[in-house]
Amino acid sequence: MSTSSGGAADSAAPAPFDPPVSTVPGKPAGPGRPRRSVVRTSPSLAVWFLLPAVVLLGALVLYPIGYSVYRSLFDVSGDDFVGLDNYTGLFRDDRIRTALRNNLIWVLVAPAVCTALGLIFAVLTEKVRWGTAFKMVVFMPMAISMLAAGVIFSLVYQNDPERGAANAAWTTIHDTFSDPAPWPGARPRPASDLKGPAEGPFTSGATVGAGQPALLPLVAVKPQDVAGEQPAAEPRAGGDGINGTVWLDFKPGGGGAPDAVDSGEKALPGIKVEAVKGGEVVASATTAADGTFTLPAAADGAKLRLPASNFAEAYGGVDWLGPSLVTPAVIAAYVWMWAGFAMVLIAAGLASVPRELMEAARVDGANEWQVFRRITVPVLAPVLAVVLVTLMINVLKIFDLVYIIVPSARLEDGNVLAVELFQQAFAGSDPDLGTGSAISVVLLLLVLPVMIFNIRRLRKESGR
Amino acid sequence: MRSSLQTLQHVRVVRTAVAIVAAGAFAVTAAGCGDDGDDNGGDGGKADKSGAGVALPKLDGESLRVGAVWTGPEQENFEKVIDGFEEQTGATVEYVPTGDNVASFVRTQVAGGKPPDVVFAPQVGVLQEFVKEGWAKPLNAAAKKELAKNFSQGWQDLGAVDGEQYGVYCKAANKSLVWYNTAAFENAGAQEPADWQGFLDTAQLVSDSGVPPVAVGGADGWTLTDWFENVYLSQAGPEKYDQLAAHEIPWTDESVKDALTTLGELFGNDTLIAGGAKKATKMAFPDSATAPFADLENPKAAMVFEADFVGAFVNETDAKVGEDAKVFPFPAVGSDSPVVTGGDAAVTLTGSKGAQALLTYLSSTEAAQAWAEPGGFISPNKNMDMAAYPNDVQREIAQALVDAGDDFRFDMSDQAPADFGGTAGKGEWKALQDFLADPKDVEGAQQDLEKAAAAAYKS
Amino acid sequence: MTTAAAAETAPKPEPREAKDESPAKESLASRVGRYAGGGAVRAFLVIVAFLWLTPTVGLLLSSFRDPADIATTGWWKVFGDPGQLTTDTYDTLFGNEDVMGALPTTVWITVPSTLLVVVIGALAGYAFAWMDFPGRDWVFLAVVCLLVVPVQVALIPVASLYRDLNLFHTITGVVLFHTAFGLPFAIFLLRNFFAEIPRELLEAARIDGAGELRLFFRVVMPLGGPAIAALGIFQFLWVWNDMLVALVFADPGKPPLTVAVQQQTRQFDSNIELIASGAFISMIIPLVVFFAFQRQFVSGVMAGAVK
Repeated sequence: MSTSSGGAADSAAPAPFDPPVSTVPGKPAGPGRPRRSVVRTSPSLAVWFLLPAVVLLGALVLYPIGYSVYRSLFDVSGDDFVGLDNYTGLFRDDRIRTALRNNLIWVLVAPAVCTALGLIFAVLTEKVRWGTAFKMVVFMPMAISMLAAGVIFSLVYQNDPERGAANAAWTTIHDTFSDPAPWPGARPRPASDLKGPAEGPFTSGATVGAGQPALLPLVAVKPQDVAGEQPAAEPRAGGDGINGTVWLDFKPGGGGAPDAVDSGEKALPGIKVEAVKGGEVVASATTAADGTFTLPAAADGAKLRLPASNFAEAYGGVDWLGPSLVTPAVIAAYVWMWAGFAMVLIAAGLASVPRELMEAARVDGANEWQVFRRITVPVLAPVLAVVLVTLMINVLKIFDLVYIIVPSARLEDGNVLAVELFQQAFAGSDPDLGTGSAISVVLLLLVLPVMIFNIRRLRKESGR
Repeated sequence: MRSSLQTLQHVRVVRTAVAIVAAGAFAVTAAGCGDDGDDNGGDGGKADKSGAGVALPKLDGESLRVGAVWTGPEQENFEKVIDGFEEQTGATVEYVPTGDNVASFVRTQVAGGKPPDVVFAPQVGVLQEFVKEGWAKPLNAAAKKELAKNFSQGWQDLGAVDGEQYGVYCKAANKSLVWYNTAAFENAGAQEPADWQGFLDTAQLVSDSGVPPVAVGGADGWTLTDWFENVYLSQAGPEKYDQLAAHEIPWTDESVKDALTTLGELFGNDTLIAGGAKKATKMAFPDSATAPFADLENPKAAMVFEADFVGAFVNETDAKVGEDAKVFPFPAVGSDSPVVTGGDAAVTLTGSKGAQALLTYLSSTEAAQAWAEPGGFISPNKNMDMAAYPNDVQREIAQALVDAGDDFRFDMSDQAPADFGGTAGKGEWKALQDFLADPKDVEGAQQDLEKAAAAAYKS
Repeated sequence: MTTAAAAETAPKPEPREAKDESPAKESLASRVGRYAGGGAVRAFLVIVAFLWLTPTVGLLLSSFRDPADIATTGWWKVFGDPGQLTTDTYDTLFGNEDVMGALPTTVWITVPSTLLVVVIGALAGYAFAWMDFPGRDWVFLAVVCLLVVPVQVALIPVASLYRDLNLFHTITGVVLFHTAFGLPFAIFLLRNFFAEIPRELLEAARIDGAGELRLFFRVVMPLGGPAIAALGIFQFLWVWNDMLVALVFADPGKPPLTVAVQQQTRQFDSNIELIASGAFISMIIPLVVFFAFQRQFVSGVMAGAVK
């Protein structure tokens, strides 16, 4: 499909609006007279052209709308007429207000971005030899089912950098600029002399004295992380400084005595140990391969502190589907899918851009930007409008992507009207068809601004 | 431009999931060992059982449609059970997967004039809706007789609406289990705990060993309602449980406060929750279910609480149930360990002769045994032979359910109005998610719960 | 669409098929490139292509991985450990009679839906663009408004309607539903494209004595080529990938591909590898169809235009 679609935009495309008798190069979009029937036949003929569409739309689309409007005036049970209560109820509901706000963001952002990208892609690909291949790539997402697209993006946005592509990329960038902590997550036992908040720093309750061994036991290190480490050694003896050991006070399989260096327990090298007196760091050391450290005599009488930098958890990346990013994240997925749609249609329209006029402009010294701005865009205007309007309306009823990608706990933050409609009228065992129908009617009303824009366009068109 | 809504739901484990015992690869691995893996082998075995079993009418030429949420292996297992029915009666049965949203599927099929003859309702509320709408038809005498013979009063009552018997709870879920990674326990020197304090101590021990202890799938609110229900049932007792389920006592009751405070001992201690409570609110249930087992070398958690269907997830990993993955009953907070259950009720929407016969068959011990053989299924049928279960873990889970007699309690949130107990981002789900994020605020959680409950139970 | 090939088979008096090779006839964009720095444009497009491909590649690789691997690591790990790749999922799907048997149903739903939407949409689009009748623009706008109707609003009312018409659980019912919901976009798109056809052309044909139908089939349809092809492709893909409508309206005994694949999924599981492989199997057919038919399709359109 990609070629086909891609080909549409290809410069080699047959020009549908550039017939052999291309008489009006400057105004390819139509003559200067009001557009009226060429055939001047009676309206009865039009009926035959419209009949199949009208019958199908009437029976299968209009009839359900009529039903919705009617149903929206009744309560949950469908028996009691409640007037506009369902509608006023909508605006009191926080979830629906969020949905409305999100829908607004969607309508303002997604179609514009898709159309802009589609236009850029359609124009730029004409210049490269592998333009068709590029179009295939951009068009491909359209051929993937919404379900699959939703699944792949819920994978992309996974929080765990091991699994989510977005966070894998993000943490890789982040980690090149910062060193990871030597023992993330390690902490003292709850009953230990070392105290501190969960993420460190941990400070000893007792002060240390020269000649006394300082034992700083930690736990909660994964067994495989210490697999290659040396066994922990007792603090060195002698010297006038303070000797101590930082080690993993946990014996695999259990059984070791707490706060004692048992055989089989591993050293924790590379940990920074600070001696603190009255809030001031008076000395510091780093543990050796066997977990031991020695602080100078100046540390006598100080408390020992293991700074939090030793234990900082690995950077976990960004919470893409968190309350603030969830809507932009899903919009990005939508753009990924639908930019191809815009590109294909714009490319089809691009085939009608009069090359003669462009050449003439260039000969007159116009630069490419001016040609694009003054010729390409105006000629493409009708197509751009079609794409934009289609996408705007499409985005108003956006459902699948939001529903699949956004985790249910976040649905409230990423809510949109169609999802709320689904939740109200279909999900669960106790559907509220009254409210659901009211939402669908509100959706219909929301098209009106888009339609007003269209009416003005039609007026302009017929006034040409 | 089209949406493919409901069908997408199977991506997310929705509410319905809770109430169902899944089979997953239990079935795949066990199918080989099951004695009648193929139709021929099944013939002999089933003929024997039917001799002692249920009498069914001849239904040659009749055809039936049966709808349920099951797909893949669960569907295959169920179709094997159906084979026995087809052989005995001569009817043909077509199985139709409904998608996860059974209620909406049935609604469209009823509107189209072709409802399935029998459908499996995954929640009490769905069954009640079918009755309320007039779609469900009551059981006939033969089916009722078979049901009464094999099911305890408690399980019969679950399928009754206003004194009339509609549903057959032929598939049950035991939702009071803690699954754990045996290697992680071994490394930590931990034992299966029996009570709540022991559970907390074990979690602490595991945490000290360097393995995050308990995975909580807080992004799916129903896992949290199950946590609460187990603690509450064990602590406050069955009577209070029933009162709270019916909203006869408010959520501001002292007993709720105690249960939440108890739960807060776990949720409020970041060293006991894999990734800490904040991360747990973002963890989806499927991720929590595989966390202890996906990477046996480097597990993301040592334990996960949920129902027997966690086994289906374990089978998606390289871990083996019974070796790498074992279960222990939910620790007793009060005097006894709780047994909270869920289940699927078969109900007929046409009341046809064939449908009634099928419900009779599904109530029989014979069907329960045929269903149990491939694994991934537990039955509340009190007369079935426990030997039919394919492995010890499965047997243990089923035994706990049957032993509970009528002291088990059905999932409370499943009995509540959907707005309170069954909707993502609303009611009990939302309130408990907020509680998980801030377990110190017991009172605030109670207020939220009561506010939501008051609104939902009124309408 | 489909036009590179078409241009070769159907000579046109347009100088446009020449691309970069011919400096005298270079395209708009090649000039853009020349002026704005072809290197920058190329680099930009390469980066975009890479970004756009990444999710698809991720989906593709996921379809070749074990569920156990998917649960632990990201798909990019296969680059370090190609041994993870397995065709198990595809074997399962291809070996499954229900899945393979669903193909004809899918075709029987998709092809008529696409043709009907194109033909009925084109007829109506032409009427809205070039015929006179009272309230034309208002009716047109009303039709466009229908674009916003979400499918789920129609499920239950249409199901009751189908019950009365005996269309429930029939392919006809599914086709008509897809056609109806494809029409607003079809009419909107084609009306706007048709309106751009130069009036002189139509008048010339009219003077030659062409009747209304002849005008429509011989002038309007061929000239709307790219738009019609785009519409056809989109409609084809939407219907091909639909699951909801089929789940509700199709005969559950003879479901289309999407529903059949869904029936293979396991409960309580993301089923990523199944959904992914299902998506790719599902993509193969539309790809093959378009590659196979693009020449004929476009040359047919062109033949009409030249005559």
